[in-house]
Amino acid sequence: MTTATLERTTLSAAAVEQFLYLEARLQDEHRYDEWEALWASEDTLYWVPRRQDADPAREVSYIYDNRARLASRIRQLNTGVRHSQAPQSGLRRLISNIEISENGADVEVQSNFILIESRRANLTTWAGRTTHVLVPAEDGFRIKRKTVVLVNCAEAIDNLAFLV
Amino acid sequence: MATALEIQPMIDYRHLVQDGRLHGSLYTSPQIFADEMEQIFHRGWSFVAHDSEIPNAGDFVVRRVGTQSLIAIRSKDGEVHVFYNRCPHRGATLCQTSSGHRSRITCPYHAWTFALDGRLIGLPDEAAYPADFSKADAGLTPVARMDTYGGFIFVNLIPNELTLREHLGHATELIDALLGLSPTGRIQLSAGWMKHKMRSNWKMIVENQVDGYHAPMVHGSLIAANRTFATVRDRKPTSPTRVRDFGMGHSDIDHASDYRAAGDRLFRWTGGIDPERLPVYVKAMNDAYGPEDARRRLIEGPPHSMLFPNLSLAEMNIMVIEPVSPQHSIQYTIPVFLEGADDLNARTLRRCEGAMGPAGMLIADDAEIGELTQMGVANLEPEWILLSRGMGKEEVLANGVKLAGLMDETSQRGFWSHYREVMAASQEVSQ
Ligand code: FES
Ligand SMILES: [Fe+2]
Repeated sequence: MTTATLERTTLSAAAVEQFLYLEARLQDEHRYDEWEALWASEDTLYWVPRRQDADPAREVSYIYDNRARLASRIRQLNTGVRHSQAPQSGLRRLISNIEISENGADVEVQSNFILIESRRANLTTWAGRTTHVLVPAEDGFRIKRKTVVLVNCAEAIDNLAFLV
Repeated sequence: MATALEIQPMIDYRHLVQDGRLHGSLYTSPQIFADEMEQIFHRGWSFVAHDSEIPNAGDFVVRRVGTQSLIAIRSKDGEVHVFYNRCPHRGATLCQTSSGHRSRITCPYHAWTFALDGRLIGLPDEAAYPADFSKADAGLTPVARMDTYGGFIFVNLIPNELTLREHLGHATELIDALLGLSPTGRIQLSAGWMKHKMRSNWKMIVENQVDGYHAPMVHGSLIAANRTFATVRDRKPTSPTRVRDFGMGHSDIDHASDYRAAGDRLFRWTGGIDPERLPVYVKAMNDAYGPEDARRRLIEGPPHSMLFPNLSLAEMNIMVIEPVSPQHSIQYTIPVFLEGADDLNARTLRRCEGAMGPAGMLIADDAEIGELTQMGVANLEPEWILLSRGMGKEEVLANGVKLAGLMDETSQRGFWSHYREVMAASQEVSQ
């Protein structure tokens, strides 16, 4: 690897990491519109499958939002009376184990997360592996596709009304 | 002299469940919960699985009925068997996963091996058993009674007096209505179940499934965000929609009465999709039932119902309620695919995800309200829950079915009056 390539990879890796951290913070802080603005304007997919290796054309997913469905989800949260997030959960997540690969113009990023949700007297731990497909934009990236595979996706799970 | 331990105070269900009010302890008492598991889930009929979930020999699912873990499995001759999930040797759990495929069942502990029909077919070192040991007596234990209607498999663990048909009563019409949306009369539950932790008593979920009162309030945020999930045209008290108490604890919200009153538009129940976009399905329905009857079916849509005690035909979803403790339940949800309707099924799948389950724009809010209600009834006062909306104003049909307005609590009262009979009868016999 030449010094120039190394430098480019290091820089873009730092930029990708910063983007993931930004996204995580907007989700944790329920900044719904700013989070939605991170998405590309069309042809997107936000997917939370019910099992690893699921076929979403035949199997039900917890979330399988195209761009219009994602907009509905955000509009609903923005009403302030989406009861399952009114009041909003306390959220903080850690993102780690980031692996980046390039696929044409797209950047594919895999990462792990641990998320703590505080709701009433309960602290709930959520964890999983996220795959982002990002497209470079002038001010960073836009999300084209995001898949979140929860470690307990095949088990009974609590309300998942916040942004994961 | 009796010690304190031996005195079990008798719970007076006829006092706790009154015609227009319920005692709050019905949702919180561990003793009542234990009674329910036995009297309702073990001594009564409960839904366990659907035929289409285990299409091939060796396919199985593991389900909980009351406190019991059961395996429903199809054997080589095509029959469905329901066994207790317990090895007859020394009790190990046989199937750990919630579904799968096996050519035989081998216990993880000492490798006793069972055929799909439950026969013990092999065990290590069989010769060490006494002479009177017989493999024929050491197979898997089937449930006492199993029966099906329209592919829905029901079990009764401690035999009661009723046939499944008697238990279902008029509710067979609801199952028929759902199956009648398929051009072949068959449905497929193949999309996998979402499992949703509910922090509420199982009976609150039952009540909410057929509650026509809460939707504008609890689901106002969804109605504001996306009109296509609001299939019902009129949710005012003057709505033509009826709630119905079918007897035996079964009830529904008859959305068809609203859809019919709204004129001859097809597919209101899908959010109003243009029939031209479902050419395969519409043609198959016309071919199967003739244009006039097909048209009626496509106007009226699927039932929105609750079958006592754990099965909800929830429009194009099936929901099953699994009690866990007085304060916790698991709600299972799967979209209903209609055989011969792939174009509709693709949409049904995406609508299910939008509305249902832990992330659904509808059900997550019902779960939240259920939790708030569970927390509320833990308070000792005001002691009684009011359930008298529309009481005494029901229309009673010749067959005993009661009809009332969309926002009336007739559907819940139907559940509770049957509950009271089942829970009180057990004590009146044992006295
Ligand atoms: S407990 Fe199953 S083989 Fe021994
Ligand atoms: Fe609801």
